[in-house]
Amino acid sequence: MSAAGATSARARRVRMPQLDAGERVRAAVIVVLLLFVVLLLPQLLSGYWVTVFTSVAIYSIVALGLGILMGRTGLVSLGQIALLALAAWVAARLFFATGLPFPIVLLGSGLITTVLGALVGLPALRLSGLYLALITLMLAGAITVVLRATNFPNGGHGFLGHLETDRGNANIRRPAIASGDTAYLRYTVIVAAIMFLIALIHVRARPGRAWAAIRQSESAALAAGVNVTLYKMWAFALASFLTGVAGGLLAANSGQLFITTFPTSDSITLLAVVLMGGIYSLWGAVVAGLLMQFLPAVLNNWGVPADWLTIVFGAGVLQVLLTAPQGLVYQFPRDMAKLGRLISGLAGRGRPPRREGAS
Amino acid sequence: MPSLEDFKPFVVTGLALGGVYALSGVGMVVLYRATGVLNLAFGAVGAMGALLAWQLINVNSWAQGPAFLVCVLFGGAVTLLYGVLFGPPLSGRDPLVKATATLGLALILLGIMDLVWSDKARSMILPTSNHGFEVSDVFVNWTEVIALGFALAVMTVTALFLRFTKTGTAMRALANDREITATLGVPVRRVEAAAWLGSGLVSGASGLLLSNLVGLDAATLTFLVISSLAATLIGRLRSITVTFIAGIVIGLVNALVTPIVSISQYRDMTPFVLATIALLVLSGRRGSALAGRAG
Repeated sequence: MSAAGATSARARRVRMPQLDAGERVRAAVIVVLLLFVVLLLPQLLSGYWVTVFTSVAIYSIVALGLGILMGRTGLVSLGQIALLALAAWVAARLFFATGLPFPIVLLGSGLITTVLGALVGLPALRLSGLYLALITLMLAGAITVVLRATNFPNGGHGFLGHLETDRGNANIRRPAIASGDTAYLRYTVIVAAIMFLIALIHVRARPGRAWAAIRQSESAALAAGVNVTLYKMWAFALASFLTGVAGGLLAANSGQLFITTFPTSDSITLLAVVLMGGIYSLWGAVVAGLLMQFLPAVLNNWGVPADWLTIVFGAGVLQVLLTAPQGLVYQFPRDMAKLGRLISGLAGRGRPPRREGAS
Repeated sequence: MPSLEDFKPFVVTGLALGGVYALSGVGMVVLYRATGVLNLAFGAVGAMGALLAWQLINVNSWAQGPAFLVCVLFGGAVTLLYGVLFGPPLSGRDPLVKATATLGLALILLGIMDLVWSDKARSMILPTSNHGFEVSDVFVNWTEVIALGFALAVMTVTALFLRFTKTGTAMRALANDREITATLGVPVRRVEAAAWLGSGLVSGASGLLLSNLVGLDAATLTFLVISSLAATLIGRLRSITVTFIAGIVIGLVNALVTPIVSISQYRDMTPFVLATIALLVLSGRRGSALAGRAG
């Protein structure tokens, strides 16, 4: 994809902006948080929770892609989980067919997914956002049909690489430096951090400004000389690329892939958690990952059926769209501040409102 | 290559399925034109109605007739309730936001269905499926006849309704320009409520028919909406006639591919493939036809 090459060229041209005090604090917080997650967290978790948090990191990347698409350009894709399944297929095929190093395979599945996503997205993008939503929903259905017929590669020969029998010993390999679960969690978090960095660079640089213009008013952006279709395409391609990389991570995480991992309804659930997490901040993607992978695990632990969560997510979509378009990332600190004021008001001491880490 | 004889039975199933896709498609287009909302929960509402009817018949031992009526009414009631509660506050937003909001309803219904009815496989057999007649060695049951006939009837009635009644004219006016229509004194909310109710009743009826023709499964029925959506997309979310024909064609192609072994297992991709072709054609001559509601 030429867009990816152009990105880095454009990013280089943008001078690094001077960080002010607030941003420096924020950067420090992020670094500390990242160090905690990479170094300490895996030590504290037991086996089950290590895999849960690996999934959280992977789905955060997927959510990041959809969040950028929705929050920056106002487009909606209803097929991101199906795209993730496709990416996982591509990655698994590459793992079995080649001896390429792990990061190269991730990059490869990212790029191939980008191309496939772009092929589907382009005709719809030239029309309106509603058409992209519809065609991606149909794409989700179509990918499910194809994968059900072809199945995931499990070390067989031929283009499909699927063996009906003897599927026991062919696991999708992990990077040599991260073959254990704990090491793989660290590896995943670091890859996720790189993906967030790529997204941040996009948002801060020229594409981010073009997206902001498109979101405000497409006609105004057009009048200002922004190539609307190109930048919409770019956002969709970036979302596909992120999903592609996540697909590679997912393939290696589970070792063997099954179509039941990617139900069509998950694409809708992803949309819900991304909206609830908040689409105007990159943190929203982390929240979305937690909502989608961590909460069900917690409920499972308590013996509560995860279907309740689907209902909550559905209500969440309506609530976010009606009252709080910025999502939990903004709403939670605001509500906490309100609560704090309320409590201090009730206590009658006139304490200043509590401040929850508003980022 | 299978002989012509092999295709015959699939013409019947294709026409029946296509009829229901067309029916749902028409229901969605009418709602979209009147309110600007593309109801992506259409399939979920129908699915839940059908499951409810199953519950009433098999657990509460109701007679079939009232249970089927409950299914259709459930579709109308839920859709109307959603429209009254969430239609007005979202009316000024982008069509994409309105469509996304209906996914909230779809998720709520999916969650409830998974909670209540996910324990075992169920099936729904309408009494009309047991009787039928033969047309050149192919058995046609009455459900299949009803599916196509009902779809045709609904399309005709809808077209006449939009053309000749006061509410229908108001709906068409709303589709053209909401603000001006409101200024002219059309009771916007009431007309929209009528559209929600009508579309909801259609979703209940399609859910019931599909639960017989395809199978009674929450996820399957919910995502069968994809076929109808493809039909509405081909009809550019405006034309009832094109949507209807597209629905029939999608159903037919989908069924007729079945005996061709090499691509049989990919036949459910039909809506996607046909919609993509339509999109390619549409985007080739954009601007002319899509300046209205869809933009």
